[in-house]
Amino acid sequence: MTQERWTQIEELFHRAAECDSAARASLLDATCSADPELRREVEALLSFDRDAGQSFLAAVHSELDAVGFPLTGETVSHYRILEGLGGGGMGLVYRAEDIRLGRQVALKFLPEESVKDPASLSRFEREARSASALEHPNICPIYEFGEHEGQPFLAMQLLEGQTLRERIGAAESGTPPFESADLLNVAIQIVDGLDAAHRHGIIHRDIKPANIFVTSQGQAKILDFGLAKPAPVITVVGNDSQGDSRDDAADSAPHELELPGTPDLFLSRTGVAMGTAGYMSPEQARGEKLDQRTDLFSFGLVLYEMATGKRAFSGDTGPSLHDAILKQTPAPARELNPKLPARLERIIGKALEKDRECRYQTASEMRADMGALQQSKRAFRWWAVGLSAAAAIAFATILFVLNRPPKTVSVVPEIKLRQLTVNSSDNPVASGAISPDGKYLAYIDTRGLHLKVIDTGETRTVPKSEVTKDPGMNWEVGPWFPDGTRLLINVLPSREQWDEPGPIISSIWAVSVPGRVPTKLRDHAFAWSVSPDGSLVSFGTGKTKIGVRELWLMGPNGENARKFQETNEGGGIGGFGWSPEGKRYTYVLANSSGNTLLSGDIKGGPTVTLFQSSEFAKLGDVNWLHDGRVVYSLAEPGNGGVCNYWTVRLDLATGRHLEEPRRLTNWPNFCVFSGSSTNDDKRLAFVASSGFYTSYVADLDAGGKRLRNIRRFTLEDADNVQVGWTADGKVMVAQNRDKWSLYKQSLDSDTPEPIVSSVAGGALLAGAITPDGKRYIGRIWPDGESIDHPTIPFPILRIPLAGGTPETLLQLSRHGNVSCARPPSNICVLAEPSEDRKQVIVSILDPIKGHGPELFRSNVDRVLGVIEVPPCVISPDGTRLAIARNPESPLEIRSLHGQIIRKIPSQSVGELDWLNWSADQKGFFVTRKSQSGNELLYLDFQGKATSLRKCGGGASGVGGGCGGSPSPDGRHLAIDDKNQSNNIWMMENF
Amino acid sequence: MSQTHAVTGLLREWVRGNQQALADLTPLVYAELRQLAASYLRRERQGHTLQPTALVHEAYMRLVDQSQPNWENRSHFYGVAARLMRQILVDHARRRNAGKRAGINVPLEQAASFQQERSGDLIALDTGLTALEKVDPRKCKAVELRYFGGLSLDEIAETLAVSAVTVRRDLRMAEAWLQKEMQGA
Repeated sequence: MTQERWTQIEELFHRAAECDSAARASLLDATCSADPELRREVEALLSFDRDAGQSFLAAVHSELDAVGFPLTGETVSHYRILEGLGGGGMGLVYRAEDIRLGRQVALKFLPEESVKDPASLSRFEREARSASALEHPNICPIYEFGEHEGQPFLAMQLLEGQTLRERIGAAESGTPPFESADLLNVAIQIVDGLDAAHRHGIIHRDIKPANIFVTSQGQAKILDFGLAKPAPVITVVGNDSQGDSRDDAADSAPHELELPGTPDLFLSRTGVAMGTAGYMSPEQARGEKLDQRTDLFSFGLVLYEMATGKRAFSGDTGPSLHDAILKQTPAPARELNPKLPARLERIIGKALEKDRECRYQTASEMRADMGALQQSKRAFRWWAVGLSAAAAIAFATILFVLNRPPKTVSVVPEIKLRQLTVNSSDNPVASGAISPDGKYLAYIDTRGLHLKVIDTGETRTVPKSEVTKDPGMNWEVGPWFPDGTRLLINVLPSREQWDEPGPIISSIWAVSVPGRVPTKLRDHAFAWSVSPDGSLVSFGTGKTKIGVRELWLMGPNGENARKFQETNEGGGIGGFGWSPEGKRYTYVLANSSGNTLLSGDIKGGPTVTLFQSSEFAKLGDVNWLHDGRVVYSLAEPGNGGVCNYWTVRLDLATGRHLEEPRRLTNWPNFCVFSGSSTNDDKRLAFVASSGFYTSYVADLDAGGKRLRNIRRFTLEDADNVQVGWTADGKVMVAQNRDKWSLYKQSLDSDTPEPIVSSVAGGALLAGAITPDGKRYIGRIWPDGESIDHPTIPFPILRIPLAGGTPETLLQLSRHGNVSCARPPSNICVLAEPSEDRKQVIVSILDPIKGHGPELFRSNVDRVLGVIEVPPCVISPDGTRLAIARNPESPLEIRSLHGQIIRKIPSQSVGELDWLNWSADQKGFFVTRKSQSGNELLYLDFQGKATSLRKCGGGASGVGGGCGGSPSPDGRHLAIDDKNQSNNIWMMENF
Repeated sequence: MSQTHAVTGLLREWVRGNQQALADLTPLVYAELRQLAASYLRRERQGHTLQPTALVHEAYMRLVDQSQPNWENRSHFYGVAARLMRQILVDHARRRNAGKRAGINVPLEQAASFQQERSGDLIALDTGLTALEKVDPRKCKAVELRYFGGLSLDEIAETLAVSAVTVRRDLRMAEAWLQKEMQGA
């Protein structure tokens, strides 16, 4: 082709390409009338004028990949290699399909250099085989050891996610890669994996960020276990720097290589390899014989980097790094990340002790410290009315609402916190008070009143029976007398009894140290405070609709009582207290427009309003310090279940703030209450409370009407909510440990079998198992979603029970309800409110395709609440639906087309929160919502309700709890109930 | 002389018109690119596709003295690097194809389910480019720079000393023509 012709073709091509098809035809007609060949050429070009770039790029990329991953597309043994995944010091990694089993795996080929040494190869094989026996959720399993044309490879579980190296690398510089809750979650998993391996005598020897994988489900997996050598059975004591290497010369890391004994050893000493050297323990750097403690040091370095984003030791060269590991102490982690909990810094510091005798000795020891820290940080979702009854009734502590939101300031660093009680969740501390001299702690739990000498721990207990035999009565620690020899306690009725009309039925008792039998001071009264000179006791008596009617004063032994203040029927008095010098008093005056904190002179005169606000959401307890400061608790914005202490200095005579409010504690997952301080203002004791769901299992008796042998099924102090039973008779539990996960557990085992280690996006709510038993359809309550103003769509997930990634089945714009029948039926149904929220729409839910055909709609005769869905559950045989349209109207049994088959009177239940068919379809397990705690009932077809269990916790608006799921054989019932972990802490130096 | 100095010197020589300098330069750049391709993939590939751009830029940074930036050197280097990248990849694809023809036993149903095989595409593209070069060397160069060098339109324009509009037109024509050739139309 001539240049001229080429130019002619090109010009016409561009002109034609700019035209639309009509103009193009006429252009070609006009131009090519005498040159049909030209027309043919240009038309052919035009037919290929589409974006060819992508296909060119794809060809280039694919070949580029093939350069780096030469085995792509080949079949190796029974693996078909699909693509390269990455690689590094340990060789190349491919995604491959196991042709025999039809599953995808990761194939890891060893670097070619390693193949040249037969001794190391056979060692590698031996160790890989032993490691493959390590079955642990936090160790990446090795399926097979194989060889391809003399090149050894491992088939491993294929993981989706990223290594810590990538995660840390992806963090913006200057920002820590992990929030401390996330960090703890991952770290505990890693140390669990290490612990399991160490117990089998296998040490890793090359723990580093690149060897720790975090799946997209949040599960941590240690990689390359077994590429390390088995730990020696006997730790060599007093090892010299030459190492005792007669028995396994090949195994010992030669000193001059400065590298651990994994295949990284074979790499050139650049880049990647240097990274490995950076995580060596001092004994490793010295070439000494290693034991499990080397892993704990390396793990400490990994933790340091997770917490700070920076390497603890960063020498540029082998020798300088070597030197740093042996001699330098890294900068304290909190200097780089001030948000890091001090306890975590200590854990890292202990792992990084150069002398391994001073380090953590075992992974489980380290695990215990991290677990305790996590415990103290755990989410506290359902704490809403967990305040002791007394506080709710009588404003026992002063209601204190700031008139503006306090600024967030950093926590005073020198504050010391000490845990004074270690009660389990079976026995939460209800209230407590430190004596004014700081010597004693008085606290009450289910066993009685305890007086504990703080310094020695010596404790004397006064059983509750000394005061009241009535199990319906609670008691609460009241104020101490200033001399620290006596304190008052209040004996109170339950909330329901309080709400009933009639006289106040609480009573005031006095207990002398060290724990004598209490004496009653006064009936029909509730003690608030003791004056600073010990001469007066303030108490409330009489009830109005919203609080206490009268404020009285009396002498220290109950003598000389007289009325001090009174309010009318529409008001209430609360939390009377003296200012520390005794010249002024404060109290809360409640009325329909809100609550006012008032201050007055003890000698008389007008009162001053300290705070006026209707913002009761923020109320917390208040402690007046002798130096004029106030320490009060405040709910964290957006999370009423979490509250922390703040302090402010106030002028009681004018109500003026003398300084800005200052935060004292910053606990993310607790609420603090029942504070008390010492005379010298040096110690403040308080209850830190954290609530969570626990699952129980009981045997069903008497046709489902009686529970026998109720036992706690989940033992951990974290949310564990039963969500039903698998086809093979195991209980499914949704667990919340910072993130939500799903596991199953058989009745005779306390070992959970994980199904999904982390569910992204929010809280996993109760759902249903598909009739084929293969999937769980679960609903998500999105993180950050507000109950009052839900905005985000609610996802419904499909979770394969055999393991695998949850998938979003559909997104609902309103909250919905899923239930499934059991085989041979194959029906699942979805109930959701209509757009106007005046109807409930019931449709088929296809576990694969999502929304199926609509079955029927039913009016609910009102507008449903924004997150409300009337309970609607399909019967186990898939032929009927039970639906509770209204709390007032009867429970309806309907056909799948919506015809009412039967109405069951359910007035005896009240407001229904959970509905489940019994296995024999002759009744229901329902949950009655109640202020004082939900109740689980059996409801038969005649409408007769039998109480099965009263649950704790009280109504909270979220979740509710006390749901019952019968096992498929009808012999057992899984129940979720609330538990609360409350313990007393002491703050010093605040 | 360090490699950096060598490459910088050879580039300068070549820019001045010394064709032997190009011959001397080629193996150095080829070796660097090949090594980079392999090591980059192994180290950095984590779920994202490697771009040739990264390799070419990296090779330039490593091989050419950066203390005296010289756009002429740079554009010449990119020209060479893109050509060499093409050569590396095509050589590799040919070897792979040869291996396949030599017969690795793959059952039929497995072979059928393989992901789309790309090595054929690449060889066809190379053949097309060789033919294009005879008719219109600048268009061939533009395609090389774009797809094997990963350069942007502006960078190509700078390297070829033409306007970006011209580059766009060149590529459009060249791509249509190459597609046509590759499909045997």
